[in-house]
Amino acid sequence: MGHGGEPRRTQAYDGELGAAVARAQDGDEAAFAVAYRLVQPGLLGYLRGLVGDDAEDVASDAWLEIARDLGRFKGDGAGFRGWTATIARHRALDHLRRQRVRPRASALEQDVLDLPGPQSTHDQALESLSTEYALELVRGLPRDQAEAVLLRVVVGLDGPASARVLGKRPGAVRTAAYRGLKRLARQLGGGAETDQGVTEDGPSTLGEST
Amino acid sequence: MGERQSDGGLHSRRRVHPDDSADGSRATIEPAGLEEYLGAALRAGAVDPAAEQRATDAFRVARDAGSHRARTRRRDDWRPREHRHMWRSVKTTAAMLVAGLTLGGVAVAAIGSVGSSDGRDDRHRQDASAGATDGASRGPSGKLSPSSGTGTHDRPDTAKDTLAHCRAYESVKGSGKALESTAWQRLVTAAGGEANVGAYCAEQLAAQSHEPGNSGNSGNTANPGNTAKSDKPKANTGNTGNAGNSGNTGNTAKPTNVAKPDASPNPGTKKK
Repeated sequence: MGHGGEPRRTQAYDGELGAAVARAQDGDEAAFAVAYRLVQPGLLGYLRGLVGDDAEDVASDAWLEIARDLGRFKGDGAGFRGWTATIARHRALDHLRRQRVRPRASALEQDVLDLPGPQSTHDQALESLSTEYALELVRGLPRDQAEAVLLRVVVGLDGPASARVLGKRPGAVRTAAYRGLKRLARQLGGGAETDQGVTEDGPSTLGEST
Repeated sequence: MGERQSDGGLHSRRRVHPDDSADGSRATIEPAGLEEYLGAALRAGAVDPAAEQRATDAFRVARDAGSHRARTRRRDDWRPREHRHMWRSVKTTAAMLVAGLTLGGVAVAAIGSVGSSDGRDDRHRQDASAGATDGASRGPSGKLSPSSGTGTHDRPDTAKDTLAHCRAYESVKGSGKALESTAWQRLVTAAGGEANVGAYCAEQLAAQSHEPGNSGNSGNTANPGNTAKSDKPKANTGNTGNAGNSGNTGNTAKPTNVAKPDASPNPGTKKK
């Protein structure tokens, strides 16, 4: 597991993203769409971890702000991912604050509602379940660990960028991510589930189709 | 993974105890594989054309409204860390250097402020006249004529005594009785009064530690160097602030026009 001194994490498409952002800042609408498509999956995944089901709504709010403030941003593709994650996080926290006033559906109900419908393909069904499962695991972590893990594996930020998004020290974020991942690894490999019997050997890799 | 997945969405969460897998018989997820899995799983299914359209519309509106001309705030600057870090460290170093010097200067000046304001004015006058008499007084002999004022003691302090007392002064200052001892009294007299000891000592100590050519520090630092060593012929080699003044052997008395000119006004003997 990588620790602090690792080189700045770049995703495969950061170069393309950086170029798209620059063109969008010059007014290129198509370039903005490219940036959107590159960033949205990570953004949405992160928000899912924070607010669960309301992730799409919060993401919409975030993109409004991103689109409006695009001219202010300075940086490369990886920086753009950090900048957008920060905006998304603020929107998520606002959302959570508002939500405290309203009762929320329990986690279990939400899972039921999100089950793939009969018209989904088999793969989509699996994918959806996989997402739900992963999401549930991550949301089961302590908040600081969950966020650190999400920023690292879903948004793809390095230690310093994650620390900046979270407003914490890089060391604390690194530790939280490490602990969170360790815990998840145990849960996934050691049979976190169920009341039903657990196989002694968990699968060594996930995603095997059966 | 079918079994697991079909249950994945329905089972209740259950915390795993840390020692569940202690026996090592369970396979553990390899970190890299885990991260990839989580990332892929959580990023899945994000494509929503309607949402993309909304975002792009918002972009267009903002662009056309000129919002994209707004300035970059600190929180919007995400340029690569190396660039900012390097620059920041240079600035930080420079800033700290300036701050350190400023604080040091304030500290030194604060010592001087123990003295009366008269003293300061006189010093400034000394400085002015020092500049004027510089050429004249520096050249010939570097001899500092003893002041006629308060320089009369039975036994002049040695240079070392003075400096040692000066150093100790800070801690002795408050205890009234200590200053009544003979040795202290010599210092006080040399400084031209208890109130002036602080400034006098500042100059003594400064002269001792400064290099020659530090005469720009007001004529006073030069003088103390001279006076302090005046009765130690050999010690004149250490005459800070008085380059070429090592021939100062003849001075036995200790001129005191150093710190407190009001006590011993000797404008003419301003030596640099």
